[in-house]
Amino acid sequence: MAYLSEIVGRSVTDLDGVSVGKLKDVIVRPWAEFPHPLIEAVSVESKSGETSFMPFAAVAALLSPVIALKYCKADVPVFEQKEDDILLARDVLDKQIIDTDGARVVRVNDVELVRVNGTIYVSNVDVSWLGIIRRMGLVGLAHFLGGRIKQKGISWDDVELMHRDQSMQLRVPAERLHDLHPADLAEIVSDLNRLESGQLLGSSDVKHLADTLEEVEPEFQAELVEHMSDEKVADVLEEMEPDEAADLLGDLPKGRKEDLLALMEKEDADDVRKLLAYPEESAGGIMTTEFASIQPNLTAGEAIQVLRGMADEVETMFYVYVLDAEQHLVGAFSLNNLIFAPPGQLVSEFMTDRIITVNLTDDQETVAQTVAKYDLLAVPVVDDENRLHGIVTADDALDKIIPTAWKKRLPRFYR
Amino acid sequence: MNENPHTRKVLPGFWKRILIFLTIFGPATITAMADNDAGGVATYSLAGAKLGYPILFPLVIITVLLGVTQEMGMRLTVITRKGLADLIREKFGVKAALFMFAALLIANIGTLITEIAAVKTTSAMLNIPPIPFVMAIVLVSFFFVTKGNYKLTQAIMLIASLFYIVYIISAVKAHPDWNLAVTNLFYPHGVDMSSAYLRDFLLIGMGVLGTTITPWGQFFISSFAFDKKIEKGKINYSQMETYWGAFLTDFFSFFMIVATAATLFIHSIPLVSGEQAALAIQPFAGKLAGTLFAIGILNAGFMGLVIVSLSTAYAFAEFFGLSGSLNDSYQKSKTFYILFVVQLIVATVVALFIPLSLFKVAVFTQTINAVALPPVFYYLIKLTNDRQLMGEFANNFFQKYFAIICTVVIIVASVFTVATAFFNF
Repeated sequence: MAYLSEIVGRSVTDLDGVSVGKLKDVIVRPWAEFPHPLIEAVSVESKSGETSFMPFAAVAALLSPVIALKYCKADVPVFEQKEDDILLARDVLDKQIIDTDGARVVRVNDVELVRVNGTIYVSNVDVSWLGIIRRMGLVGLAHFLGGRIKQKGISWDDVELMHRDQSMQLRVPAERLHDLHPADLAEIVSDLNRLESGQLLGSSDVKHLADTLEEVEPEFQAELVEHMSDEKVADVLEEMEPDEAADLLGDLPKGRKEDLLALMEKEDADDVRKLLAYPEESAGGIMTTEFASIQPNLTAGEAIQVLRGMADEVETMFYVYVLDAEQHLVGAFSLNNLIFAPPGQLVSEFMTDRIITVNLTDDQETVAQTVAKYDLLAVPVVDDENRLHGIVTADDALDKIIPTAWKKRLPRFYR
Repeated sequence: MNENPHTRKVLPGFWKRILIFLTIFGPATITAMADNDAGGVATYSLAGAKLGYPILFPLVIITVLLGVTQEMGMRLTVITRKGLADLIREKFGVKAALFMFAALLIANIGTLITEIAAVKTTSAMLNIPPIPFVMAIVLVSFFFVTKGNYKLTQAIMLIASLFYIVYIISAVKAHPDWNLAVTNLFYPHGVDMSSAYLRDFLLIGMGVLGTTITPWGQFFISSFAFDKKIEKGKINYSQMETYWGAFLTDFFSFFMIVATAATLFIHSIPLVSGEQAALAIQPFAGKLAGTLFAIGILNAGFMGLVIVSLSTAYAFAEFFGLSGSLNDSYQKSKTFYILFVVQLIVATVVALFIPLSLFKVAVFTQTINAVALPPVFYYLIKLTNDRQLMGEFANNFFQKYFAIICTVVIIVASVFTVATAFFNF
């Protein structure tokens, strides 16, 4: 095992022992089949300050105090760089990377190299204090401590680089990030700089992007979509819960908001428009228009069929609301009630008709108190004539009164 | 990246602009106000008492220097969304990072010690038991920083900034010659300019500059703006805030100097230390003015304690790639919070229980600051010149050279102050 910091700066000599310069960087190339990239080449800086790239095959011994080449100075073959080559010292060392295992952004102090059968692989990145001690030139101390302190190396397999190609685009293979929970991805995004976070999300698919955006603060959401194309943002907005989409649109400049609404599918756009009409702090402003509703004259068996058909539109069904032909709220039941009911029983027979509701214009405090007082998972929002307009889920109700920073401190169970 | 037609500028109305300004308001004002920490107040009081109105003259220059240097830090962070420390580590490597951090840590602990010492002396003047009082302040700072979030910290610091108004009242009560005071901003006059006076003027003027422009101020504005996550589109407003902050700071400094110049200088009362000013002005300006002056020092000390220790904690997180945000939980940013409190504890213990010459601590701190300032400005200018990093917001020709000139002035001032302190004038 060796470290990048140890070999960078070592002198390089040719076959005859003549000094060629100092080792400047180590070039690796990712492969598709194996997570740990192989060293392909080195770059050497001559005394006059010129940098030359040499294939690894030209190096006789890389992990030795003096790096010897297999050729005479004049005959060293030239290495052809490719676009996705990674220069470890330039692109990895001291830079922030994404640790996909720990779902966090960390700074690289050193890179660990391993020799297997004459080839050298990148095994881990070192983000621990030992790396810093080693970088200060205190290799002996780092080694001494290394034997006693548990190493916190991150396997290259879990590392996502954030370096850029020529066009300054961030190159993050999206697949691995998609395995992360949207809340984790949101946290990573908030740790990154502007360009990086935008590009990171830009590489995500619409569904994942929508879920992630729902997890970040509204002002920050607006910033993240600032440079995305309208078409993509419109797709994302359709995918988001209408209340979240409305929050996001509310933070965008007016002109863009209208353009985006025009690009969205009419049905989704109408839902969002309706929500935008209510004050931000009112029940109408925080409700979502996605809820399951059903007519009173169906049987339990038919109701299950109808609800199954809604699976695509309604993400979570806490309660099913029973509406008459004019959208008046006449009752509600939970999925428990439905499943326990005999298949032939009418909805109107097993539903509850004493329903706790809030009015569209109630403020969010009232909504939160209602949800807490009656232990509800969601509360229906009605107008003065008792027509159902939407629901406020318990998490949204609490979201609005507990500052995010405090919520993060609550154990997950309560969130 | 394709240009989005919606980012085109629509000229917002006046109120709309005010609203946008309020959304970015905070970091620059707080950093600038914290530059008038307890040490700053003491220096200004001393300057006014010893030199009278003419020492108001450097304030205009200081305002420009503060505004220009803070604006660079603000712009750097808003455009790159990285802190100054982040960028130093990435562009200049781990050794530069370690060196800067060590200098910042030591200098900041020195600053904290002087801060606590000032709070201790002043609370004794107000008949508040000093040791419990200092401990209470440290505890309160720790509690709201760890339990609160960015918004709460910003709100408390902005309220603390309001307290500087007490200096206006103290100054008014001192019945100064306003005409003389204001004209001295433009050219120093009204005293006998003997060679001894001019020597003191130069010395104290440099000292005043040194307490206002500090390495921690440069790091803090960048980290705090980062934590606030100011959008790139609002850069104009943030730049405006840095100039406003610089103006506001020196606006209050003006009254601190006037309060002591109109009383102690006129009556030739010598001051041993700046904190004594609160007591010394009482016979001339009344008890209220003295008490307000003392409360002002306590407030400045509190603000300095929080901001200076936060600046170290932020810089540490950025240099070494740990999580560090007031919006993160204690669990996530443990090191950040621990570093915050450990500095406070170390400084408290030293200031309260170890008999040290405060003068020596101040000189020592000033020395470290003088060592750290040139590299800070070197990095800052180098980074803001970098077109690849800053794009169209990189320094233009004028900004670049103006920044360099300002830097040279600041460095000469701090080196000069240190040198004279060592040679004991």
